[in-house]
Amino acid sequence: MDLSYRIRLLIVLISIGVLAGGGLLFKKLLIPDSFGVYGHYRADAISEAALVPIRHGTNASCFKCHPYEAKIHKKGRHKTISCEFCHGTYADHVADGKKAGTLPVKKEKEITTLCLRCHNTEIKARHEEVIKTVAMPNHLRDQNVKLTHTCNQCHHVHAPLKYIIRAKQITGLTEARL
Amino acid sequence: MKILNPSPKLNRRSFIKKVLNGTIAGSLYLVWPMKGVSLEIPEQIPGIRGKDYDILNREFAFIVDITRCIGCGSCCVADKREYNVPDGNYRTWVERYVKGFSDNVYVDSPNGGLDGYQHPRTDIDEKIRDTFFVPKLCNMCREAPCVQVCPVGATFKTPDGFVLIDEKRCVGCAYCIQACPYSARFLNPVTKVAEKCTWCYHRVRKGLLPACVEVCPTGARKFGSMKDKTSEVYKILKGPGVLTVLKKEMGTWPALYYEGARREVI
Repeated sequence: MDLSYRIRLLIVLISIGVLAGGGLLFKKLLIPDSFGVYGHYRADAISEAALVPIRHGTNASCFKCHPYEAKIHKKGRHKTISCEFCHGTYADHVADGKKAGTLPVKKEKEITTLCLRCHNTEIKARHEEVIKTVAMPNHLRDQNVKLTHTCNQCHHVHAPLKYIIRAKQITGLTEARL
Repeated sequence: MKILNPSPKLNRRSFIKKVLNGTIAGSLYLVWPMKGVSLEIPEQIPGIRGKDYDILNREFAFIVDITRCIGCGSCCVADKREYNVPDGNYRTWVERYVKGFSDNVYVDSPNGGLDGYQHPRTDIDEKIRDTFFVPKLCNMCREAPCVQVCPVGATFKTPDGFVLIDEKRCVGCAYCIQACPYSARFLNPVTKVAEKCTWCYHRVRKGLLPACVEVCPTGARKFGSMKDKTSEVYKILKGPGVLTVLKKEMGTWPALYYEGARREVI
């Protein structure tokens, strides 16, 4: 064998080695560490997804600082309604255990619109055993009140039958129209 | 007059020690970092907090009871707020199905149900037989088509049964959006990566219910652990009630079940 052949062989072997080594190095650099622990994905993404901060609390988190509202809300028919649906998220109100912002309060017509999201009879998909519904403005007419009345003038928003039950107790009427 | 020592053990040294201890403890209490808000909130899914989360030994199920849904849209509002979902995109939405006596089915979902359903449909000129609401969200398929098509391994199925998206790996090719038979996915216009409902994985891992389940006033949405034999979903899935999944013939094996779904629901 002559020398030039040996040199050429050496060059080929070295370049194969460099290419393979470089490829492996690139692979190591490009593939994230946790890739393939559970499957064809980055396992760290699971713990990252678990660490996303929550924005909604629960009703219990609101009741901690609002015992007055809690007392009424827990007793009323609206006890299953989330505070945050009407008032806004916990994260907009509390940050690091301190008050961070004021949540807007719904007023007048906004309240009626909010009530009718659930209590509108015209949407025929609301069953009697799930929710009590009314038709507007027939309900106002039936109750002999002005058509400009908003729902919260008779119904406490947290416990809708609170005043009505009380009125029944005072007047002694058992058949008061609801 | 002799002044009595208030406690025979309390000399100057121990008094100063106690005061100092109290001061240090008090200031530590003020500066100690709070471990997120979740610890202040009572646990909703039992058996998650206070121990290592064994990801290989967890299973969850989601049940939507159509007969209890009133279409208020609380879930949609909560979902939008929990994730600051850009307008026009929906991680979860509520559809209204109206069925006529001619068996025609009319489906609409104005703004995904975000504003609720304030008015009945007026554009149908036949007698209406049935109206019902169908909340939709990610089905968490056990044979997920979106996972199969992802070219970069950005969408994956976790060992505890969630289909999640790795935001850092997603290249926004939108294959998964086309692959999803339930149209649960969208391309986030802000981050430019695919996004979808995660069944609030971050809340579940903190022992809390998904935001939509938490706010649902009628209990139409139910979520719970399948490893907990006392959970509501376990009892329903074990019980005799008729449960269906969407597009069963697609072979996706969803972990999201529907109770009371009419055959028109797709």
